[in-house]
Amino acid sequence: MPPVDPKTYWRSLEELGDTEAFRRHEDNEFAELLPEDLPAGSRRRFLQLMGASLALAGVSGCVPHPNNPTWPRWPKTKILPHAYRPDGTDPGKPQYYATTFEMNGVAKPVLAKSYDGRPIKIEGNPEHPASRGGADAFAQASVLGMYDPTRSTGPARMSGGETAAPWSDFLGDARQVLRVAERNGGENLRILAEASSSPSLARVRAEWQQRFPRMKWYEWEPVSRDAERDGTRLAFGRPMRPLYALDRAQVIVSLEDDFLGEHPNAMVHTRDFAHARNPDGAHMCRLFAVESFFSLTGSNADSRHPVPSGAVTQVAFAVAAALANEHHVELPAELSPVLSAAAQHGAHHPFVSRLAEELAGARGQGLICAGPSQPASVHALVAALNVALGNAGTTVSYAADPAGDRAGHVASIRELARDMGAGQVKALFLLGGNPVFDAPADVEFGDALPHVEFSAHLSPYRDETSQKCKWHLPRAHTFEAWSDSRSWDGTWTFAQPIIEPLYEGRTPAELLASLAADRAVTGRELVEATFTAAGAGNWRASVHDGFVKGSAYATSVPALAGSWRPTTADFTWTEPSAGACEVVFRPDAKIWDGRFYSNPWLQELPDPMTKLTWDNAALVDPATARDLGVGMGDMIRLTAGNHTVDVPVYLMPGQARRSIALPLGYGRGFSRRMSERGREGKQGGGFDVYPFRGSETPWRVASATVARTGGHYALVTTQDHHAIPNVDNAMQASGQAQRLPELYREASLEDYKHHPEFAKHKVHHPPLVSLWTEHDYETGHKWGMAIDLSACTGCSACVIACQAENNIQPVGKKEVSHGREMHWIRVDRYFSGDIENPKVAHQPITCHQCENAPCEQVCPVAATIHSAEGLNDMVYNRCVGTRYCSNNCPYKVRRFNYFNNTRHLPAVMKMAQNPDVTVRSRGVMEKCTYCVQRIKAVTIPARNDRRAVRDGEIVPACAQSCPAEAIVFGDLNDPKSRVRKAHDHDRAYAMLAELNVKPRTRFLAKVRNPGGGAGHGVDHGNDHGADHGGGHAASTAAASTGVNG
Amino acid sequence: MTTMSLANSLTDTSEDVRTRPPLILGDNDFASVTEKVCRVVETSKTPKAWWALFGLSATVMTMLLAMIGYLFYTGVGVWGVNNPVGWGFAIVNFVFWVGIGHAGTLISAILYLFRQNWRTGINRFAEAMTIFAVICALVFPGIHVGRVWMVWFLFPIPDQQLWMWPNFRSPLLWDVFAVGTYFTVSLLFWYMGLIPDIATLRDRAKTKLRETAYGVFALGWRGSNRHWQRYERAYLILAALATPLVLSVHSVVSFDFAVAQLPGWHTTIFPPYFVAGAIFSGFAMVVFLAVIARSIYGLQEIITMRHLENMNKIILATGSMVGYAYAMEFFIAWYGGNPYESFAFQNRAFGPYWWAYWIMVSCNVISPQLYWFKKIRTSIPAMLVIAFFVNVGMWFERFVITVTSLAADFLPSAWGMYWPTWVDILTLVGSFGLFFTLFLLFIRWLPMVAMAEIKAIMPQAHAHSHDPHAEREHRVLAEAVR
Repeated sequence: MPPVDPKTYWRSLEELGDTEAFRRHEDNEFAELLPEDLPAGSRRRFLQLMGASLALAGVSGCVPHPNNPTWPRWPKTKILPHAYRPDGTDPGKPQYYATTFEMNGVAKPVLAKSYDGRPIKIEGNPEHPASRGGADAFAQASVLGMYDPTRSTGPARMSGGETAAPWSDFLGDARQVLRVAERNGGENLRILAEASSSPSLARVRAEWQQRFPRMKWYEWEPVSRDAERDGTRLAFGRPMRPLYALDRAQVIVSLEDDFLGEHPNAMVHTRDFAHARNPDGAHMCRLFAVESFFSLTGSNADSRHPVPSGAVTQVAFAVAAALANEHHVELPAELSPVLSAAAQHGAHHPFVSRLAEELAGARGQGLICAGPSQPASVHALVAALNVALGNAGTTVSYAADPAGDRAGHVASIRELARDMGAGQVKALFLLGGNPVFDAPADVEFGDALPHVEFSAHLSPYRDETSQKCKWHLPRAHTFEAWSDSRSWDGTWTFAQPIIEPLYEGRTPAELLASLAADRAVTGRELVEATFTAAGAGNWRASVHDGFVKGSAYATSVPALAGSWRPTTADFTWTEPSAGACEVVFRPDAKIWDGRFYSNPWLQELPDPMTKLTWDNAALVDPATARDLGVGMGDMIRLTAGNHTVDVPVYLMPGQARRSIALPLGYGRGFSRRMSERGREGKQGGGFDVYPFRGSETPWRVASATVARTGGHYALVTTQDHHAIPNVDNAMQASGQAQRLPELYREASLEDYKHHPEFAKHKVHHPPLVSLWTEHDYETGHKWGMAIDLSACTGCSACVIACQAENNIQPVGKKEVSHGREMHWIRVDRYFSGDIENPKVAHQPITCHQCENAPCEQVCPVAATIHSAEGLNDMVYNRCVGTRYCSNNCPYKVRRFNYFNNTRHLPAVMKMAQNPDVTVRSRGVMEKCTYCVQRIKAVTIPARNDRRAVRDGEIVPACAQSCPAEAIVFGDLNDPKSRVRKAHDHDRAYAMLAELNVKPRTRFLAKVRNPGGGAGHGVDHGNDHGADHGGGHAASTAAASTGVNG
Repeated sequence: MTTMSLANSLTDTSEDVRTRPPLILGDNDFASVTEKVCRVVETSKTPKAWWALFGLSATVMTMLLAMIGYLFYTGVGVWGVNNPVGWGFAIVNFVFWVGIGHAGTLISAILYLFRQNWRTGINRFAEAMTIFAVICALVFPGIHVGRVWMVWFLFPIPDQQLWMWPNFRSPLLWDVFAVGTYFTVSLLFWYMGLIPDIATLRDRAKTKLRETAYGVFALGWRGSNRHWQRYERAYLILAALATPLVLSVHSVVSFDFAVAQLPGWHTTIFPPYFVAGAIFSGFAMVVFLAVIARSIYGLQEIITMRHLENMNKIILATGSMVGYAYAMEFFIAWYGGNPYESFAFQNRAFGPYWWAYWIMVSCNVISPQLYWFKKIRTSIPAMLVIAFFVNVGMWFERFVITVTSLAADFLPSAWGMYWPTWVDILTLVGSFGLFFTLFLLFIRWLPMVAMAEIKAIMPQAHAHSHDPHAEREHRVLAEAVR
């Protein structure tokens, strides 16, 4: 080795040695890569290495899953947390506030669930006597109404085009007008208000009346129970409000009174009715309905008699005559002159004697009620009958009408319009309402309104009425402001703001008070002052509860005044002439009088009876339609006097012959923003039928001629994609008739008593066996649900509850027409029996959370899997959207996002989304989870506290909202739980259990109480032994075929 | 009697081995066969008819791509699928195309193993059709999912983000493997068979470009004895591999339906019924294309009437099986006593989709029965019409199975109807564009008849080939032995 220069750096001994091999090596640029340098046997080795590296490349995927920050699917954004957490709040933990939602002057007490200052879900206020936890679809959907992008954001001058202006401009102008008005005591000042029972507004009104003694205050509601006021005035001498106690009733006769549906107190009625109809109770009540249209109440009747609305009046008097003549019920003497005539008039209704007999047999436990579409004479008669039968005081009590001195709604608007037309009105304040749209046509309110020099309309929308006023003023939503109101029973109920007002809205009381006080008076000031003045107790506690305990109206059994003298004209009814039909107006089950027109949840809610969405239609019974030569969707023109309206036909079995029902409220479309939403398919269509409504008999047109126009209109339903009833194909109809008794199991009360387990014997099948050892759910939780079909009225509140809770997107009319509605719970409606007067079955269907879920088996990517507690979980971010699961679901409860339904969600509507539930993207399947987020919200804290979950602690949204308490949820492993007891009940059955899917939801069979020996007969008699050979449908087990029992 | 006169008198379909002519008609020798087949590929003047057809097909294929683009951009909602009917045209088309893709491998693999020498005239052609049909089929399951960008979830890829395998219990996953395997093996089989012919094209190439291009794909084939020996062995192995696949792939496709519990789907008859239906439609497609191609390119002597008649016989046989399956479905629906199932079948025939059912029955059951008559079996216009009907009928069979069962299943409240949208229809039409585009490219650039194989069954390939009479005797003996 040569000597080394001490300053030389060297890399290796080879370099230092400067060997030949090293020099060769160094000269070669790619030395290491030369194949000949690889070890011998390199082909084999190469393949080994390649194989190993491929295999290990796979293994590299098996490292534990960190939250990989490099995954580029979502853009990174920063959020701003509270610098200081507000006192008493836990981020992400919802808070509930008691508040209220007023409709038609009646408070609907609710709890608002609020996340970080943003209300997202409305539930009934369980403490409140007028809710007891139930909330109807309107109240529940009202939260979406607040986030409605078409709401008005600020005041605007409406004359000469719409120009936004600040509140101060308006207040300045208005105060000037008021100062002028004050000079003559408000002679030319008018206020037209929506019905309101707000004590605070009443107080402000009183102040105004003091300041302007000659001012006139009118009230207008297109859907009004004024006939009831007028009738009770006839009977008792003063207007009274009947309050039903349905839980005490054994026989109920409804004369076109939809007390389960459109009645302001329907939530309470539904609950009481369900209790009264418990087939396992001591006595199951019996409901008779006499009505022209098919109401929700009628669909729950044991015996229903469709007669034209005019003939209902006749029936009422005939029943009175029968009671007096045959059952010796002592009716007031002033009735006797007309009774024999009444008996004659009603002689052709065969069921009259049955009604009289039943009512006479249940004295003190019966109830007769009449609906708003019946004339005052019927209400007076009903009051007299209830008193005479001793029902008053038990099943019905009477409270003095809270606004007994006010004029009737129709009379009010007629008078106001007349004054306006005559130029007697210089200043008009419209507090809510939309009279230009919904006033009776002959009043011509819209034509008179521009004659008023100064008119201002307080309204959530720049709607039809605002367009014709000088000023539009934005109205605060009930969840944005303080206000108060009274529920149907009179309980003083408060609304408190849950959110900072989104826009510049004010309440009617705030507006009036601010105008009077020359400063901005807040709602809280007003409500608190009213409260203090009334000395009603602890303010904090009352606001916390949402109402003042014990503040309901005093009730009494008033004596009959004895001054009412009915005449035969009161019940004379003549059939419409040939080619003509009676027309009856109805508030719509979804958008009411039109006020919820821009609420997509309600628009897309299937009507409980017709299952129509996004539209109204003329409901015509099939026989009449045949006579008229029209079918589903054919346009007809109704003409009465000089009013006409064109509407499409919907064939409604059970509608009275030659009586057409017209739901109100559709056919709007007044603003640019609304029509934009319309183009997105998120705005309703329908037909405005108000122009056909007169003021003389606002609920009824006795005779209207009907003519085909030759046009056709596409009506969209969520069920029955064929014509009536359900199928127009004879083969399909027979298939349906064969299976429905197995799907919806029902019996008469007699048969049920005779054969309590009838439901379990509707389907027999071979023993259900499994090929493998199935998962054992006997330890831990085993969630289950039971739905009592006897209690369910079909009101569809659960559908909206589910929609709000689970961020279910409305999809618009066009998509519904393709069968792509997203509801996780649907209420199936079937007709059975006579097409002229069918029975109705309402059956809520959600995911049955099958233990042997067919959907799970077929998903190729395992996006739907079973939890240890037996829930059929859906993993959205795993789903690729093959839709195989939906195909294999026997209940067809899975819903697929055919488009990105949230992509064009207006920003403000995004605030209505529940943060506990994923907002689904395009292309994934979704379905009912039994509200897994609510389950976890209870089980996780319970586990932290090391305690067991109490029965009833977890309430899914549908069960929570159900006013009939028909839906029960809980742990099937808890032997004392209500759901366990329901599953073990005699009436319990599992639908399609013969498929061995082992559903976790069971139904309790429907029991009807028609009485009169009208039993349907059950498949098996009493002698039916235990030799069934196999399991029963409702017991657990399975083969894939079902054999008819 | 000369072979020429046999060809002219069209008696080459005789079953009598004593009078049956050779498989290749006309005065052909090895050179003329090579010339006739290669001429199609080598001609510098592409026929105008080809250009016209290609232009049309490519346009239609472009429309398919546009439809798919629109679908991806917007969502599956552009189709008519809805809540009860979650599968519509996409799955119908998928099953239809997979079915078409059965004939090729059946002809090349199963008939090869059974030593049905007549197959050599059509096998290349049929195999190519198979490959293209399966490509068309594979488009649909890929695009029909809601989140197409996540479709890789269907494959068992070990992945850090996923941390799980797909669900091996799902028939859709079996589909991925079954169709994937079938496609791979069919492609290999086809390519294997092509190698000697590509080498022929390379050797005949007159330009450097052609020589290089064909040379690459010929994989250095020199036709040496060793090459041939290995080739034959590999071909036999692949045929043996492909044979069970012919039966398995459509069985697995049928599991998509049979394994579900839907009335009308949940039935054990599906695997054999689907396979029979697939062969049925596949052969109809081969006949349809062969009749057109042989007349355009003058290959009547190679793809003879005997080939066509044999295929028509298979169509008759499988058509009868399909008809039997239809009848048996109804019988079981009645005999099984399951009310849901009996309803499902009544609903097919008499429900709102009755028209689809009766189109299916008249096309699939009635029309092939005409093949009992030899005159019809050997009539070119008749077989064109019947083959067309069979394919229409088989498409409707898949429509009937998929859609009518879904449209009315258990709960009447959930019953619905499915109507295709314009996107559905254009996508279906577009898939034919894709198919024919690929097919036309194939016949333009690759030999549509397996030259090497066909030469092996020509008289000249056998001893005494100079003596036609002796050759006849030899062949008669050989066939008698087989």
